[in-house]
Amino acid sequence: MDSFYQWFQVLYETTGINLPFIYDSYDRSRLINGFFMTIQLSVTCLFFSTIIGMIGAWLQGSPLKWTRRIVNGYIQLFRNTPPLVQLYFFYFAIGSMLPKVTTDYGGEAPLLGNFAWAVISLSFFAGAFNVEIFRSGIEAVPKSTVEAAESLGFSRLQIYKDITLPLALRVVLPSLNNNLVNLVKTTTLAYAIAVPEMLYETNQIWSDNVNVTEMMIFLLLAYFFLVGVLVWGMNRWEQAMKIPGYGE
Amino acid sequence: MKSLIKGLLGGLALLAFSAAGQTVHADAIADIKKAGVIKVGVKADYKPYGFIDPSGAIVGIEPDLAKEVAAKLGVKVELIPVLSSNRMQFLEQGKIDLMIATMTDTAERRKVVHIVDPNYYSSGTNILALKKFGFKKWEDLRDKPVCGIQGAFYNKSTSEKYGAKIVAFKGTAEVYAALKQGSCVAFVYDDSAIVAKTTEPDFADYEMPLPTIDDAPWGLAVKLGEDKFAKFISDMIVGWHKSGRILALETQYGVTNTPFAKAMHDKYK
Amino acid sequence: MRPAPGKTGYKTDLPVMHAVRMPAAERSAFRLKLWHILPILLFCIFSSSLGFAATTPGQLSAFDTLLRWMPLLLKGFGFNLLISVMAMSFGTVVGVALGLGQLSLSKSLSRFSWFITQFFRNSPWLVLLFFSMFLLPFEFNVAGVIIPLPDWLKATFGLSLPVMANVSEIVRGAVKSLPSGQWEAAESLAYTRRQTLWLIILPQCVKRMLPPWMNLYSILTMATVLASIVGVSEVMTLTGRVLSSEGGRTELLAPFYGFVLLLFFIYCYPIARWTVRLEKKFAVIN
Repeated sequence: MDSFYQWFQVLYETTGINLPFIYDSYDRSRLINGFFMTIQLSVTCLFFSTIIGMIGAWLQGSPLKWTRRIVNGYIQLFRNTPPLVQLYFFYFAIGSMLPKVTTDYGGEAPLLGNFAWAVISLSFFAGAFNVEIFRSGIEAVPKSTVEAAESLGFSRLQIYKDITLPLALRVVLPSLNNNLVNLVKTTTLAYAIAVPEMLYETNQIWSDNVNVTEMMIFLLLAYFFLVGVLVWGMNRWEQAMKIPGYGE
Repeated sequence: MKSLIKGLLGGLALLAFSAAGQTVHADAIADIKKAGVIKVGVKADYKPYGFIDPSGAIVGIEPDLAKEVAAKLGVKVELIPVLSSNRMQFLEQGKIDLMIATMTDTAERRKVVHIVDPNYYSSGTNILALKKFGFKKWEDLRDKPVCGIQGAFYNKSTSEKYGAKIVAFKGTAEVYAALKQGSCVAFVYDDSAIVAKTTEPDFADYEMPLPTIDDAPWGLAVKLGEDKFAKFISDMIVGWHKSGRILALETQYGVTNTPFAKAMHDKYK
Repeated sequence: MRPAPGKTGYKTDLPVMHAVRMPAAERSAFRLKLWHILPILLFCIFSSSLGFAATTPGQLSAFDTLLRWMPLLLKGFGFNLLISVMAMSFGTVVGVALGLGQLSLSKSLSRFSWFITQFFRNSPWLVLLFFSMFLLPFEFNVAGVIIPLPDWLKATFGLSLPVMANVSEIVRGAVKSLPSGQWEAAESLAYTRRQTLWLIILPQCVKRMLPPWMNLYSILTMATVLASIVGVSEVMTLTGRVLSSEGGRTELLAPFYGFVLLLFFIYCYPIARWTVRLEKKFAVIN
């Protein structure tokens, strides 16, 4: 394996294409950790933001005035402000107000670390968009179907769970797909609160080695790969859930 | 559709034509004097070496040095804010003529840009930490979260050699907030800036306990191949050291006089 | 039966004669009412009293510092808006063309458009931004005349690339969501494919495209802060520089970033409300 790595060192010396994350073991391990951290962050945020979207869309149809108001206020706030600034707010402003725990080296650290805050902030951000997406999907469900269910004695939760949500999901799958792809790319923002994901590690490597172009190309390919896997999976799912009679 | 394709190809051709139309000059001084303005790349987010005032203009130690170069050449100065990630690239492209942007002088960088000798400045690495932790040597930082600035070159050596877990943020405000919060135990940074910070009442509980390491000189740079211009700048740097201008600027901007600046002043007196 | 207040004036006991009430979802849409001023005012007073708290003697309070730097930050924010509007316009025009290209019957054109769309859609916006900053020259030398290409213009081009790809996907998705009956009916009426697209399909799609398009615009506006990573002097970069030139005072973090938050909110919230109105205007009875 070492000779494979050494070849890249030779590549650097001959052509000037510098890929230190291959031949330097320290950079290599850091970047691999960054890659897995990105995957971890993406998967966790995808999961939570979809749940928030579904719950939010259901709460939006609630008969209680204040529930609807709070959900709408949350959506408007998170959709109309930059996620980078939201991230800062969660980590610095709210994070400092939380109780502290003592660490093993005798210091005091806040309860939630930067990974947790990144997940919370990004899930709420993507969740706000998901609520709107699910809402448009719910509206696309024909009213006659819902009325038929009501007349058969389904409770509100049952209608949502068994009838509206499955139909709405199929209608919104392209938009949801779009949003989830954007979420994966938005995880790069976590670099601002020092979550060691791919952009953060790449930034460090290009600062040390001044090979910004090579690192950017690598980032491009890495995200292509990640997003490609996600899009392929979502397309397969879309195909499986197609409703006949729509589209061409 | 056909006309669209033709238009696109025409646009691309124009691009290629204009790019090819740029010839290589090796006489920066003549070009600068002809243009009447020298473009200098400086930092705009690193107090006191380069920062902004409420009108948006860039001020600081390095902008002042840039203004002196412009005055000597008899031209106006245009300060262009740069980042660590694009300062050398701007120089290569020709977007800036001179770069004075807190850049550490390394052999790698000398291959890309022409770093002018003698070095105009230097600083070492140290940490800012709570007194109660009682750090005595760099090894004490092993496996502990240490804050840093993203892109600083000493982050790698601190984490590789001493095993610290570097938590790097974009700017100093974020770092100080994280330090106060307890998200990290120390802040690895330039010693000149840390010394200034410990004098502030807010940071009375903090100290700079470790021996300063990695005292690395900074270099200002011009484009590779501009030897005449480099010689001109080199003479200016010698003049600055001789007259003690660097020491005066340090005092003016509230930095304790660094040993390197003092040594260079003594050398060229 | 007494008529409900504000409804028809005559007495009736037939519920079907009462005026139509707005469905529940409509009523829930958040609207700024007069009494909302009260909690907003309370919030402003509370937060500003925190901000006014004197820190150390000789230092301005956080609020005064913010006031001092506000003109500069507003100028930076203006850049963000300019970048977003220009990137959106350029990206939409090219994106619609690309989306139609994806639907074309010519295999090569649809493949090519699909590839371009997927390429720019799946790339991180930051990388596209970076490449446009790096690859585009900083000035054009056309026949001796030097035309400078400022950084923010390069950033605009870089951001318009993912917009173009996303608009293409939106167009494709909207066309695909129409019932195939529309295509079949048009075919049976001897419309050419071009006529079908322009006269029948696309007009119906506009309503469906509007929400995701406005969605995209709001994502784009937020994404303009990415330009701070490549050094464009927009509001995030300026905030970072300002915080650094204020010596990294931690109590300034919240007010300054809160101000940026407020700026974006003030800009984007009315647009969001306008989108809802536009949606209703183009609503087709379902």
